[in-house]
Amino acid sequence: MKHGVVLFHTTSAALRAEKLTVRAGLDVKLVPTPRELSSDCGIALRFAWGEAARVANVLAAGAVEHEVHPMPEQG
Amino acid sequence: MSLSRFLSSRWGPIVTGAAVGVLAPLLVQQGNPGNMGICVACFNRDIAGALGFHRAAAVQYIRPEILAFVFGALAAALAFGEFRPRGGSSPLIRFVLGMFAAIGALVFLGCPWRAVLRLAGGDGNAIPGIVGLVAGIGLGIVFLKRGFSLGRSRPAAPAVPWVMPVFAAVLLALLLGAPLLGRTPEGNPTGPVFFSEKGPGSQHAPWLLSLAAGLVVGFLAQRSRFCTVGAFRDVLLLRDAHLLNGVVALLVAAFATNLALGQFHAGFEGNPVAHTGTSWNFAGMVLAGLAFTLAGGCPGRQVFLCGEGDGDAGVFVVGMIAGAGVAHLCSLASSPSGPGPYGPWAVGIGLVVLCLFGATMRESTTN
Repeated sequence: MKHGVVLFHTTSAALRAEKLTVRAGLDVKLVPTPRELSSDCGIALRFAWGEAARVANVLAAGAVEHEVHPMPEQG
Repeated sequence: MSLSRFLSSRWGPIVTGAAVGVLAPLLVQQGNPGNMGICVACFNRDIAGALGFHRAAAVQYIRPEILAFVFGALAAALAFGEFRPRGGSSPLIRFVLGMFAAIGALVFLGCPWRAVLRLAGGDGNAIPGIVGLVAGIGLGIVFLKRGFSLGRSRPAAPAVPWVMPVFAAVLLALLLGAPLLGRTPEGNPTGPVFFSEKGPGSQHAPWLLSLAAGLVVGFLAQRSRFCTVGAFRDVLLLRDAHLLNGVVALLVAAFATNLALGQFHAGFEGNPVAHTGTSWNFAGMVLAGLAFTLAGGCPGRQVFLCGEGDGDAGVFVVGMIAGAGVAHLCSLASSPSGPGPYGPWAVGIGLVVLCLFGATMRESTTN
């Protein structure tokens, strides 16, 4: 399954995003930020790419600053 | 696979950790203090002493390894398009975190890297230090889960990312030139650079070797995001061992290199630049681990971030140098005979201050 990954500016934003998305019934997992993507925060949120719009909506509603990217292929 | 892609893969932290594990014992063989081939806390303390920020005559030397970490990370960041001027994430708080990180580490006598290097050299006193480090990281995670945040960094002016590389270049010039710009009351030339004549500060590998080793480590670590505190944080918080593999590689490589060089001596007594006070080895690293976790990375990583343009990491590193100065001016730092007379007080005060930061600085209040 193709995954996407959400990047954050702070660790607490990543943790809050996990809480909000889990509460919304989304299947997500906190992961180390993929090295190919540059980010201020070492923790990112992985999700099923098909849910990208829902994830973005939940985080926007929760006022969490974020960036959504497709998950890079694992090296 | 290109070198860049290789270092970005799961092998990156492993290669970086192994490089540190081989190079650090080699630097000891070439003259650095025992089990202190590389120590970001001790070396910042030596730099503080070399610049006259404390008066402990035995620990004064501008360590080229630290300067080269900045240069190596800068080269990697520039080469691979990751040089991003940024800052403004609670810099003053980061300065205080850096100070207490250095104080805690100097009560133990080592940063997380040296804790692992000490263990790899057979020093059993490293064990309570590492347990304390993990406990401090665990405490930091509790605060992170409760919403602790220093706020996001913002793009910074083009001058910001050059401050720390230029500072490192100035320090290298001071090391090599050793100018005598000050005067004693008697009118004799002195300072601004001081060099230990005995003790750990007088023990150092040839500067060019130290510089070369630091450049390699800085380059690799910037590419791989090697971080000893991030390693334990990711295991505790995410159940992910990507970075921890690097710490394990460091331990194994350093152990093997120490064995090969005849530098492995198992025991608790008589280890170089170490004391046997288990409680304060533990508690010092709880304080340091908490400070590193709240600041987002181990001291090595903070130095590498200085090369990537992160002004906030620069403030943390300057805070560490200041904290190291305070640690020796106020008898907080330990010595081989045990904790300094006021070290335990400083650890207690530091834990209270950091817990106050942890409990009161939330995302909503810092954004």
